[in-house]
Amino acid sequence: MEQDQLFSEIKKIVAYVIEVDENEFDGETKFVDDLGVDSMMALEILVGIEKKYKVKIPEDRLENITNLNESVALAREFIEGK
Amino acid sequence: MASEKRQPVDQLDFNQVKEILPQRFPFLMIDRIVEIKAGEKVVGLKNISGNEEFFQGHFPDLPVMPGSLILEAIAQTAIVLFCYGNTDQDVSRRTFLFGSVKARFLSPAYPGDRMLVEVTPVKLISTGGVVKGVAKVEDRIVCKGELSFSVNKEKAT
Repeated sequence: MEQDQLFSEIKKIVAYVIEVDENEFDGETKFVDDLGVDSMMALEILVGIEKKYKVKIPEDRLENITNLNESVALAREFIEGK
Repeated sequence: MASEKRQPVDQLDFNQVKEILPQRFPFLMIDRIVEIKAGEKVVGLKNISGNEEFFQGHFPDLPVMPGSLILEAIAQTAIVLFCYGNTDQDVSRRTFLFGSVKARFLSPAYPGDRMLVEVTPVKLISTGGVVKGVAKVEDRIVCKGELSFSVNKEKAT
């Protein structure tokens, strides 16, 4: 899958979960400090990725949900390892 | 004794439900668990009585069970799903809080209805989870949705 496509799809998931407009954040915007993401929202982002790409991501990888770029990298790792 | 009572049987009575849920009157929205498969599925039963105190106000001339309390029944069934078979013995003394809810209400529940609440996991982790829930009266779907919840290690004061 193209990086741009994956990026924009996961951006949509994040925007939906945290109820923030897509143009209010980019790849490096910090989820916790800049967007007020809490542990439940991070879990919901993880679940959103799992559902969309039919992958299973273990709980200890929640720590990778820190910004959009990291989330995309995490998703890519599991999509490619499928 | 607690571990003995939590042996995998497929039903829980009211007292066993109370051992798991931290909620008490008037906020226990599940009377019994009629089906349970650890980590996979829990079906709770709520017999909706015309005597429920919320019917005094919701609504005086048209008693329908508040949607928020139907969600509470789903959430409490989710707590049973989270706790049942969980090897952490302190789990039932923890506090559970809603993260988010996405739900659709499809038909009302009235006094006399026997509401079955089925909850299945989307993802459960050590500190919370995301579950799907469906509340039905006979074959009629009352509410369906997805909710997330977190588990606090300390009891709410």
